[in-house]
Amino acid sequence: MTETLAGWRRRLGGEHLPYVDSRIYTDATIFEEELAKIWRRTWLLVSHESELPEPLDFRTTTIAREPVVIVRGEDGKVRAFLNVCPHRGALLLRQPAGNLRNANPSGSPKRITCMFHAWQFDAAGQCTSITRRSAGYQERLDCSQVSLKELPCEVAYGGFVWVHLEASAPPLRASMGNAFDALLPHLETEPLEVFHHHKAIVTTNYKFWHDTNSEFYHDYMHHFNRVTSMKQPGYFDRRYAPFSNGHVTISSMQVKYTAYEQDDVVLADSRDLSFPGLETNGWKLLDLFPGITLNLRGSALRIDTMTPLAPDKVLIEFRGLGLKKDTPDARARRVRDHNTIWGPFGRNLPEDLLGVVNQGLGVRPGSESLHILHGRFEDNSIHDEIGLRCYYREWSRRMNRLASAPDEAPPDAITAEPQSSSLGNGVH
Amino acid sequence: MSSVPKRSELRAAVEDVLYASAVHLDSQKFESWLQLTAPEFRYRITSYSHDLRKDMTWLDHDRAGLTALLAILPKHHVNGAQWLRQTVLYTLDDDGPDAVRAVSSLAVFQTVLDVGDAHVDGGSSRLFAAGHYQDRLRLEGGRFLLSDRNVRLDTRQLGIGSHLIP
Repeated sequence: MTETLAGWRRRLGGEHLPYVDSRIYTDATIFEEELAKIWRRTWLLVSHESELPEPLDFRTTTIAREPVVIVRGEDGKVRAFLNVCPHRGALLLRQPAGNLRNANPSGSPKRITCMFHAWQFDAAGQCTSITRRSAGYQERLDCSQVSLKELPCEVAYGGFVWVHLEASAPPLRASMGNAFDALLPHLETEPLEVFHHHKAIVTTNYKFWHDTNSEFYHDYMHHFNRVTSMKQPGYFDRRYAPFSNGHVTISSMQVKYTAYEQDDVVLADSRDLSFPGLETNGWKLLDLFPGITLNLRGSALRIDTMTPLAPDKVLIEFRGLGLKKDTPDARARRVRDHNTIWGPFGRNLPEDLLGVVNQGLGVRPGSESLHILHGRFEDNSIHDEIGLRCYYREWSRRMNRLASAPDEAPPDAITAEPQSSSLGNGVH
Repeated sequence: MSSVPKRSELRAAVEDVLYASAVHLDSQKFESWLQLTAPEFRYRITSYSHDLRKDMTWLDHDRAGLTALLAILPKHHVNGAQWLRQTVLYTLDDDGPDAVRAVSSLAVFQTVLDVGDAHVDGGSSRLFAAGHYQDRLRLEGGRFLLSDRNVRLDTRQLGIGSHLIP
């Protein structure tokens, strides 16, 4: 009973037992730095091309508090713009999705019209009308000066729409490196299509969610995963492969979905339906820094994306995808397979989210810092925590703070490209 | 429809099933709730996504599947909140011999127990979901049974979600 609270919370961890300081999940200053140094300077997956199938379709989103709109132009090209009127700063498009064919009450068809003063822009971001321009601005302002702010935008890696806030963005493929190598054959053989989307605002730090997606040790929480995966052959043969820039992937196994049953009723069909090139009931996963996960399991691809809102609040979006060419029967099976586990009424997702809600309660803004262990070493196999160590090495490099001691700058070695062999020490 | 009661009695008979359904689900007496359903019962949870501009199906089970799903709940970490389903019958239409279609409003409240800070939040109530029940009922043995239920949710943000059904 002589040990202090602070002593207990910092008892574990050290050179041979990697950890991070819980302040990286709770500190408001660190959170603001993350938005500036990471989220504003990273290619982010914001949508899929199937969400904008027709010319003039649009989707709205937010990146690091900046409103963004993705528009498919009349030329078929997908572009991203700041969703803000250059005149007086009003939000332009207010709906989550739509098409510009129809005029809004103060604008023309095929135009993005600011409802406030009716300035209009085409789907390529060019200004087409400043109401009563010459009367008010004479020759001091014209349309050529007030186009929408276009953002770097690419459609890649299976038709996903990627956006970067900075005009000086590095090439998307340089940011991804070889991270997609294992998944790409399954994503680019056939066009994909989104069939599911739901959102959850969760009271926790965004990194706790990515942590959960980056380790499988928490399978002990899920009855579903225990019976369909952990007890099946090959589970402990799965291996993590870390990449540069904080990305990590894990190799496949064959899941036995029919093991999830009650009273002889099988509740999860065998996934004889699959993705191109994926073994039947296969399961591959890719975690991308700083908060994107592609989870290809059996017949469905799940995509998690995050919008950090505060140190203890995050918006998580969940998408489910199948093949564009699916028959109605095949699509119904993919939807059922996906939502049995991952829908808002699925068997796993509420438990995963409850897990990170509990972390957010155990580690709160203002509470004594806690050493959060990332110290499992199992030859990079499925319960190894190399995914976490890979992520926080990149976090430390980007933030110029040690995740294990956020008041300190990282050593020079951590600014180098991470190698798998260097992720075992306690410095991250 | 000779065995079908007059309109007001018909409405009252359907309301009896609707409200008994809410009571049994609120008290998690799933076996009692299943006794309100016909052998061919199908249960779905659906919603329209304004993000995708498409319909979504979030859960879809026949009676056997739903029975097994409810029976396996003790093996999951289920949100312990008390649920309150508030439902009001809006419309009632004939749907063939001895069958009707009923549309009812639905608001599901949760009173917090163990999701969130039990010390701070426990005992507080919040709206979990809003939408409609779209039911089909048929007469059997002089009483109505649910033969199809589509829980059509307007709410698309459900927090951590749920193992239980609305």
